[in-house]
Amino acid sequence: MTPQELVVRMLPPFGGWLALAALALPGGSPLRGAAVVLFLAAGPGAAVVRVCAPALGARPAEGPVERRDPDFARHSDLLERLMLTLFLSIGALMLVATVLIATHAFSAQRVLLTLTLLTTLAAFCPPLRASPRPRTPKGSAQ
Amino acid sequence: MRPPTTPRERSTPEPTPARDGANTSGSGPETASQSSSPSSSESSSPAHEPVTDLSDLPPAWSGRGAQAWPGVPLLVALALWVYAMRHTDVSRLDDYGLVSALHPAFWAGLAVLTTGFWFTVRDARRPAAWSAVYVLGLLVMERATQAVLYPTPLYAWAWKHEAVIDHLLTAGGLQTADQVGDMAVYDQWPGFFAAQAALQRLLGVDSAAMFMAWWPLASSLMLLLPLLLIYRTFTEDRRLIWTAVWLFYVANWVGQDYFSPQSVAYALHVGVLAVVLRRFGRSAVRRGRPRQAVWTVVITVMITAIVISHQLTPGMLVVCLLALCLSRRYRDWVPVVTTVVIFLAWCLTAALPFLSAAMPDMIRSIGDVGANVETGYGATPTGTGAIATSWAARLLSGSVLLLAAVGVLRQRVLRHRAWPLLLVAAAPLPMFAASSYGSEMIFRVLLFMLPGAAFFAAAALLPKVRTLAADAAAQEAGNRRATGPAKARRWGIGTWVPLAALLGGTLAFVPAYSGKDRINYFPPQEVALVRQLFDQAPDGSLVVAANRNYPDAYASYWSVDHYWFLDDARSHVDRIVRSPAATLARDMAGVERPGRAYFLLTQGQLANSEMNGQLDKAQLNRIQRSVAASPRFRLVAENSAGWLYVLKQSEGAER
Repeated sequence: MTPQELVVRMLPPFGGWLALAALALPGGSPLRGAAVVLFLAAGPGAAVVRVCAPALGARPAEGPVERRDPDFARHSDLLERLMLTLFLSIGALMLVATVLIATHAFSAQRVLLTLTLLTTLAAFCPPLRASPRPRTPKGSAQ
Repeated sequence: MRPPTTPRERSTPEPTPARDGANTSGSGPETASQSSSPSSSESSSPAHEPVTDLSDLPPAWSGRGAQAWPGVPLLVALALWVYAMRHTDVSRLDDYGLVSALHPAFWAGLAVLTTGFWFTVRDARRPAAWSAVYVLGLLVMERATQAVLYPTPLYAWAWKHEAVIDHLLTAGGLQTADQVGDMAVYDQWPGFFAAQAALQRLLGVDSAAMFMAWWPLASSLMLLLPLLLIYRTFTEDRRLIWTAVWLFYVANWVGQDYFSPQSVAYALHVGVLAVVLRRFGRSAVRRGRPRQAVWTVVITVMITAIVISHQLTPGMLVVCLLALCLSRRYRDWVPVVTTVVIFLAWCLTAALPFLSAAMPDMIRSIGDVGANVETGYGATPTGTGAIATSWAARLLSGSVLLLAAVGVLRQRVLRHRAWPLLLVAAAPLPMFAASSYGSEMIFRVLLFMLPGAAFFAAAALLPKVRTLAADAAAQEAGNRRATGPAKARRWGIGTWVPLAALLGGTLAFVPAYSGKDRINYFPPQEVALVRQLFDQAPDGSLVVAANRNYPDAYASYWSVDHYWFLDDARSHVDRIVRSPAATLARDMAGVERPGRAYFLLTQGQLANSEMNGQLDKAQLNRIQRSVAASPRFRLVAENSAGWLYVLKQSEGAER
């Protein structure tokens, strides 16, 4: 693993622990707000997307008929990863908060701690392999 | 609350695969030809660029200036917006809402922005980043203007949701109808509120009101990525992609972007559609590469978040996914079955109390299309301003749907290629027959049709999409003939008509979206007056008001009762108008100590009643004067935004 890969891998959990540390700042502080919002909007999703990346990209996505721009599909995939990062983070926040409130165990710190622990766990998971294919079409893109 | 959008166009063209197939070997989206990427030399060559007709474009202008010129109108527009923000006074809104209050520089800025966008986006040779920046500029001008201008958050509904968050934080868990009455419905779909409760505490702010004014901008930004992905599934033409995104935002006046569960659920809904359209098609499966199960897990997380947050969105998602199954390309039942299973599991467990109570009414409304599209009493725009802004909204929606119909009819090749998107656009229409959804179904159907409708509406404004074979033939004919006739067309109808349409839609968005701000805006004095009430109201108190259109109307709803007399039978409202103080005192008499009975009348209630065809200002003022003169009531507080009275308890005992 290169140092760059290590940084990318550890950035989401680091964001979570940083957000937890930022809770020590006064309420309404912009720094606290930025740390919390950035992690909640991107941290868990980024960790999950990293783990799932090989499986997510195992098959080319549906795309337009015209194929003029060689970078078009790659940019679409990038946008898709960004979208998943955001929506999986929001989904995780809603699910964790709902579970805690339904079990009368709700506190904001617990929500953040749970998400941070899950993100940390994901950071230590190896990337999910794509399921084996029956055959590999010649010239197909990964 | 909002006027109906009457004109609707249902576009159901035929896919005509045989004809398209005759034209091109590659027009079928699933043809093997698409899997073979062109060589880089081919794709980088300008000669291979125009699958769509670019001959109406001005000649290429090279150099640094060509790259940077789109920044000029953008900066001018934003400068005009900033100037307008500093010179707009919202303290005295009339029946036209923000429309008449806005400084003229705002309108000039919006016009400059739209014009700059059109001349930037129609040149496919410009970097797409400029179009993205223009769309972000549009979002700032559209969705951040109110947050900048108004010192308090808009919409009584947003304030209601803030009260639900407060309730969850106070109770620490979900409660039933025995504890919180009708408001228990929010405890049965708590996803959004639980997340916001956590966010509020983590930010360390007293209330979600501190940030909810910015939610329309945040929720609109959330839609950008899934919209782009959906459009990029069907075309590489950046003009089409970005014009569709622009039209989506200007046509999305319905106002479901405010601080609400549906704002997030809708973004997730569009996100699920984007994933399904990109990853659940059958072309790759046919090539022997099965879909990875991880994609099912990904949409499961998103669908679960939708299901635990909002009642209607999962239903809309199911009909959209079912519609997709009508096309052979997307006949994959996994997304539909996943959504239905999760939705049913939630409805039969957590949401069962609400559904079992509401089921008889829901079953009765199935098939009653007439009643389902009615807006009901108290939702009839009244007064010149309200009617004019309602018509602006109707015209805007009608025009976009009409443009979409034109796009579907005119763009035969695109219609075939984007057939699944057309199905998604038409899918919500049957929901008219399913439910009235509190008289709001018409707006929700429009909202869920928009992603598809905006795409075809944009296609109506752009040159015809050609088949690959036709395009290749045109290229072979060469660029020789491009110069003469194209020059005449360059500044012709193909330039100015689309620009006029974009300008009209973008400017009409403002009255459609902000034309009722006299109803939706609560000045700080009104907020202070209501907070004064709840600061002193003991548990078990009753708050009586004309309607629920005031800030914090649901504050402490778990311990304070409410009675909004305009919701009552018309005969009783007439009785209140005839004999206000005596009737209200009788209505408020049953409150037991230590609770108190308060009468609150604010300018938000006045505006809502007057502009929606209920009691007019004179009638409500008469009620206020009658209460003020009555010995049964005592004035607690008043300011420029309203009055607060309390029923004297001895009077209650006498009765």
